[in-house]
Amino acid sequence: MTRTAIFTRADIIVVCVAILMLPWLYQHFWGDGSRGEIARVQVAGQAPLLIPLHRSQRYTFDGPLGTSVIEVRDGRIRFVESPCRNKLCIHSGWLQRNSEFAACLPNLVSITIAGHNPRFDSINF
Amino acid sequence: MNAPAPLRLRTNRDDHRIAALAALAITIHIIEAALPSPIPGVKPGLANVITLVVLFLYGWRDAAWVSLLRVFAGSLLLGSFLTPTFALSLAGACSSLAMLGLVWRLNPLLQGIGFKLGPVGFSVLGACAHMTGQIITARLLIIPHDGLFHLLPLFITAAVLFGIVSGIISQLILSRLRQEQ
Repeated sequence: MTRTAIFTRADIIVVCVAILMLPWLYQHFWGDGSRGEIARVQVAGQAPLLIPLHRSQRYTFDGPLGTSVIEVRDGRIRFVESPCRNKLCIHSGWLQRNSEFAACLPNLVSITIAGHNPRFDSINF
Repeated sequence: MNAPAPLRLRTNRDDHRIAALAALAITIHIIEAALPSPIPGVKPGLANVITLVVLFLYGWRDAAWVSLLRVFAGSLLLGSFLTPTFALSLAGACSSLAMLGLVWRLNPLLQGIGFKLGPVGFSVLGACAHMTGQIITARLLIIPHDGLFHLLPLFITAAVLFGIVSGIISQLILSRLRQEQ
């Protein structure tokens, strides 16, 4: 009785293709290709404001609690100052890829990175 | 008065075999559910070893039975029947079964040109289909946000790794069973 091999030739090909596909997946979903160009900032029920990410600048927004400060630099965007208690929005850090999201619920300010043609006006969970 | 005739379910040897194998898969499924996972949503899926072994011993139909019975009975036992977890589990099982069925059909052709897939190849393909099906289902039903796809590379990496491991275990079991025959 001969011992059968664990891998057939076709198995090795499948495994190699799968492993070679991984860097492409990371590149595609995590790489520069998924970088957003525009941030949508929504403040307290007002119409969303579109902010381009290629121009470094600071923006201030007045919400019900006070002033939220948002900074754009190097194609990224973040909350830098917020009147809220937990500062979860600031701890969200930099946003740069498509669909990344940060919000300050107490001050009703939210940021989403969007492409040029966002499919939804709003999303509820 | 006539007593109603007792309801009798006729079972044959095939049913018994499938039930026994499904019980084995459910046991592994539940033991695995008790183990903590470092990343939510990522687990080895060792119950699929049984699916693979059944596929190679008895064909795709039996493998589908064992896999789906595991999803249903496993969720009943864990209390997740008809929850989102169950939906994802079912979606994963259906996707991987579809992939396994496709490759199972193609394999005789591949064998003709000397490229027969073994359990490892089936396992990796099935695991990747499982993950992809789950992510798409989660996107459609549970979290309607494209940010979910950022998890795909991590999940597929885990699928490939655990797919290889499950495939090797299946192959070891199969060659051991063939030796004993």
